[in-house]
Amino acid sequence: MQNSIRSKTFFNEVGNTSKFIGNFFARFLQPPYEIQEIFKQCYIIGYKSLPLVGLTGFIMGLVLTMQLRPFMIDYGVESQLPAIVGIAIIREIGPVITALIFAGKIGSSIGAELGSMKVTEQIDAMEVSGTNPFKYLVISRVLATTLMLPILIILSDAISLYGSYLGVNIKGSISFNFFWTQIFESLEFRDVIPAYIKTYFFGFAVGIIGCYKGYNSNKGTEGVGSSANAAVVVSSVMIFILDLLAVQISDLLGFN
Amino acid sequence: MSSKLYKNMKLGFFVSTGMALLILLLYFIGKNRNLFGSNFVLKARFENVQGLKDGNNVRYAGIDVGSVSKIKFINDTVVEVFMNIENKMKKIIRKNALVSIGTDGLVGNKVVNISSIRKQSPLVQENDVLITRKPIDTDDMLRTLFKTNNDIAIIAENLKQTIMQINESTALWNFLKDDFVPKKLHSFVFNLDVASKKTNLILDDAKIAIDKITNGSGTISTLLYDTVLSNDLRNIVKNINNAGSQADELARKINILTNKIDADINQGYGPIHALLKDSTIVHSINRSMNNIEKATDRFNIYMEALKHNFLFRGYFKKIEKNK
Repeated sequence: MQNSIRSKTFFNEVGNTSKFIGNFFARFLQPPYEIQEIFKQCYIIGYKSLPLVGLTGFIMGLVLTMQLRPFMIDYGVESQLPAIVGIAIIREIGPVITALIFAGKIGSSIGAELGSMKVTEQIDAMEVSGTNPFKYLVISRVLATTLMLPILIILSDAISLYGSYLGVNIKGSISFNFFWTQIFESLEFRDVIPAYIKTYFFGFAVGIIGCYKGYNSNKGTEGVGSSANAAVVVSSVMIFILDLLAVQISDLLGFN
Repeated sequence: MSSKLYKNMKLGFFVSTGMALLILLLYFIGKNRNLFGSNFVLKARFENVQGLKDGNNVRYAGIDVGSVSKIKFINDTVVEVFMNIENKMKKIIRKNALVSIGTDGLVGNKVVNISSIRKQSPLVQENDVLITRKPIDTDDMLRTLFKTNNDIAIIAENLKQTIMQINESTALWNFLKDDFVPKKLHSFVFNLDVASKKTNLILDDAKIAIDKITNGSGTISTLLYDTVLSNDLRNIVKNINNAGSQADELARKINILTNKIDADINQGYGPIHALLKDSTIVHSINRSMNNIEKATDRFNIYMEALKHNFLFRGYFKKIEKNK
């Protein structure tokens, strides 16, 4: 009985989310376009996340390199360290870790913001005042996350690789030039393109789930908290599911 | 408004940096795959490409100059490899360059190596098919290695037996253990050294002597190098020859003479024949000798009688005194 209620709730959520996504695409291209709001959200979501994402990216690259280094020396392939770290960061670790950090920061903020607006009935008020709240709040935020996350991930990859360069140079010695040559020599388009494309889906998932959870928040302050929490949890899980899908699709298409 | 503009600028900077990095990343990857810049196509035909793939590097003298763009079958035994080569290599690669498939490191990716054969030939042109060298086949290598291994095993076995025989040989070990042998050997070597030094000295002397003979005016030098002496010698030899022939003549005459004497002795009536061959003479001589002996005996008696004679006694005493 409990299970059936849970599964009903789950499928209800999935259905509602799908409907919400459908709504998004239905209204996405319809005027009026909230350009200013989109830019504002891009600034908040993208630019303001950069320090956090950059810090985590830097540490990630540095730590990954230092952790891998002893094993690479054991196997006698220390010279391949930049290539391996480069591929790991560009293909998988950069996009996924950055998207998770992004989900933690932006998913929760969108969930909480829209949740509190819902709770304080600002969304209803917006509707009364003639502004389309869905367009103004949801589409602008979802577009901003979708467009900003890939850029954040590219920057994060670059910072990670720089961290990795420092990591290699803590104990070894490698010129900056040679480090990048080795990374670019080992990279191919099939490493970069699928990894880059999936980041759009990650961004979209974080934005749409945050908005859905906030937009459909329950009444009361408790609802705000739970919608913020749910936004982070669900978008994080979605990132992993999308990652799994992405790797399978790119495998099917022969990119691996 | 200005705050909004500032925010938009920051956003613009953020987005453009991200995009620039993405474009750079894609550009560098593309550059490594020779997607940009002008290339030309060279071809090579192989029986076996050993897992070569599109995008594998092409190297000339160990430097990356392009990549494999396409691999296709010509027929059931020949595979054609298309290589995108940088345009600048048109001035370097020659038509007789050798193409081979190698491996980047021990377990690395396959690479196509183009190497010069150091002979004159015109430069390559677009779509030229280069000569190929049969790639080193791992199976062949292993087969050779297997044979070598077997040979080594046989050699090792033989070596083992040899060493065992050496170990079992008491005579050899006794010989090696003996202190006397090295000492002898040492003295032998020492003597050899001394001898060689002496030989050196002798040789030096000999050299000096030869030099003297060659340049000097001593006897040997005169003998060897004086032409006047040699003429004299020749004359002497000639004279000796003459003397020899005269001696022959003399000997011949002596021979005749001795023959005559011989004949005379044997058959003749001369004194020599009488002396040597006539037996009656011996008797006569014997008789004579006996008579002489008797006569001397008698003479001795007469002399003794004379000593005792008073007339001569004084004389004999005088002789004994003088003695």
